[in-house]
Amino acid sequence: MGLWHLNTVAPCMSYIDQGSCVPPPGPALWGPLGLTYNGQLITCPKHYRQSTNSVANFFYEPGNDRIIAHIVLNTTYWPSWDVQRYEFNAEDGAWSNREEAMARQAWIGIWGAAYTQKATMGSFNKIYACRNNETKIREVMWEYAEPATNGWWVDPYTWNPKSIYGYAVVNRIDNLLAAAANWTLDCWRNIGATPERFAQLRLPNVLNYLAYESRNYCWVITQDGVICKADYQIPRWEMMSTVQNPEADALKYFITYDTKRKRVVVFRQRPDAADGACQHQLEFYYPMVSAGQLTQPVPVTSLRAGNRILLAAHLVGDAGEGVTPYTVEGEMLEPVDGRLVTPFSGTELNGRVCFQYQAPEEACTETLKLKVTVEES
Amino acid sequence: MYEKIFESTKLAQPVVAGDSWQHLCYVSTWDAFLSQSGGEWARVFRDGARVKFGKPSGSYAMLGRVKGFPAYWSQWTFKVHPAFEINGLPNPNEVLNPNWNIGYSLGPSSSSGKFIDDVNQVYLHQPSANRIDIHSLEDGRKVGEIVHNAGEYFAAIAWVQPGQVAGLCRTSGKVRIMDYLSSPRVLATGRLDPFKVAGYDSAFHLFFAIGTDYKARVYCREAWPAVLSAPVFDPPTVRGLKGNLVKTRLTGQDGEPCPGWWVHWELADAGGGLRGSLDNYVTKTDTAGWAKSRYFGPDDNQPGSGKIKARVVLS
Repeated sequence: MGLWHLNTVAPCMSYIDQGSCVPPPGPALWGPLGLTYNGQLITCPKHYRQSTNSVANFFYEPGNDRIIAHIVLNTTYWPSWDVQRYEFNAEDGAWSNREEAMARQAWIGIWGAAYTQKATMGSFNKIYACRNNETKIREVMWEYAEPATNGWWVDPYTWNPKSIYGYAVVNRIDNLLAAAANWTLDCWRNIGATPERFAQLRLPNVLNYLAYESRNYCWVITQDGVICKADYQIPRWEMMSTVQNPEADALKYFITYDTKRKRVVVFRQRPDAADGACQHQLEFYYPMVSAGQLTQPVPVTSLRAGNRILLAAHLVGDAGEGVTPYTVEGEMLEPVDGRLVTPFSGTELNGRVCFQYQAPEEACTETLKLKVTVEES
Repeated sequence: MYEKIFESTKLAQPVVAGDSWQHLCYVSTWDAFLSQSGGEWARVFRDGARVKFGKPSGSYAMLGRVKGFPAYWSQWTFKVHPAFEINGLPNPNEVLNPNWNIGYSLGPSSSSGKFIDDVNQVYLHQPSANRIDIHSLEDGRKVGEIVHNAGEYFAAIAWVQPGQVAGLCRTSGKVRIMDYLSSPRVLATGRLDPFKVAGYDSAFHLFFAIGTDYKARVYCREAWPAVLSAPVFDPPTVRGLKGNLVKTRLTGQDGEPCPGWWVHWELADAGGGLRGSLDNYVTKTDTAGWAKSRYFGPDDNQPGSGKIKARVVLS
């Protein structure tokens, strides 16, 4: 299984436009415009009053059926930073609270974003997050990322072994917690009574974000855009894929799972454009097969005149995962001396296709061309 | 030298300059190879296509495992862990050697490959460049050895089939197919081109190597002919009116037999015209690399000389 790219909204949001810029070296802190912070944001050719400092939280909020991002901004206005909540329509990624955010009315307060990070949805459609100022994992409010009043919490630092996490998915129904600090996903059970770390999953790279799907599954995205699905109850890896077109300039990736539409949403944090415009994008993926490349056919039997020769190739996704079911067609290019016994072959679970070729009794050079048709969504 | 059946134009090179491949293992469920460098996990296909999917961590060193899967030795715990099928990453939740810790001196490295058979509870270790010791996984005692005299440590010991492994030497390219279970010994020898990393494809019984030039190469397990010996009579005395056995042997670069090749026989003029005849003018080499025919001398009862040529068409 891979990830089928549905659509991308790029850019998915924008900054407040200053409408003008100041030639280098930029505005003075005190100038005709008044007090100006982060003058580089409006130094020509840049002309926006905001820029992204960090993405604190990114999650699907089922109550409002929206994708939420809490973003810490650098600003030209007082006090030089801002924290806004950006809300996106989960159906198409449209920016739902554009007017509110552009008017700086989606302010969530500094403490939510500073102390609560990597929030994700969990059991009972609540939002849970690890905290920066304490070792607890708490239920938080989706609007402000502040701890919910009388909300649920656990403190893994009091468990054995003592643990402090940066990312967590909470399954209160089964008393399970899957959490990571960096390279390892720790799986805990019986978290309501005597917690026990019953298993660990090694991550393929530095973790960038963790997202809850269900009582069994969670999703991880690494710093290079590799996406893995894990069953944290067994535990084991269930699939591996990657974002489409992982670009070198992507700063970070964030992932969440839309439990209503059963699909993955990725927020790609990208650097600002030359004029300072926001370039972040939302990407929607459906967990199903998605062909990325067809490898060259390679003979796997001895090349002898008169022999029946087997050739193997693979149809794989962007992370090298096999994709099926597809039919790959083979065609001998002129001049043809032998005979292609298998004109088409269906992909196996690992994406392999095999072709048989009957070589002539004389020495020759042949070219086999493979072709596969992939339907676009 | 094994027959090279494919050489890629793509270069299977780690993304980061200066990084180098350390281990490679065929993963049967992928039908592709898992390659590990200092900073990269990658899936490598036979045509040299390479897909990076992660970065190694946790000081796990890869070693060969029965059934064509990788396993990982942890230098911190001295335990060997299996790999997840989906992404080939170490599964720290399972231990293949619960009763015996495999210490530093016995653990795998990028220059000296090791092998674990958790089904038959044995571990293969290289104490020298010429020998493999077989240890019991139950208590670590040595239960056997294989003297292979390759003169170089095997960079990888890869699973071939139940009870058999292939040892692969990085610099010389020497290969030893060995039985480690029923009667420990070398079963067959061969050679590849020098490589960075190599493994054994247990699905199609091929060798796969990423060369020093980062090209992917695929070799089948048949020796590529290098020498066709001069035809000789057996017995050496040739008699007229009799079928005299004449034979020639086709061998590889290291003297390994080349079975199944067609040898073309030909009578040539040695000064007195063509004399006599051959029973078969095309014969196939047997398992030892010998091709045989019979020569019938002329019936004129006159002494003379003749010449028999043998040749093999390689391509």
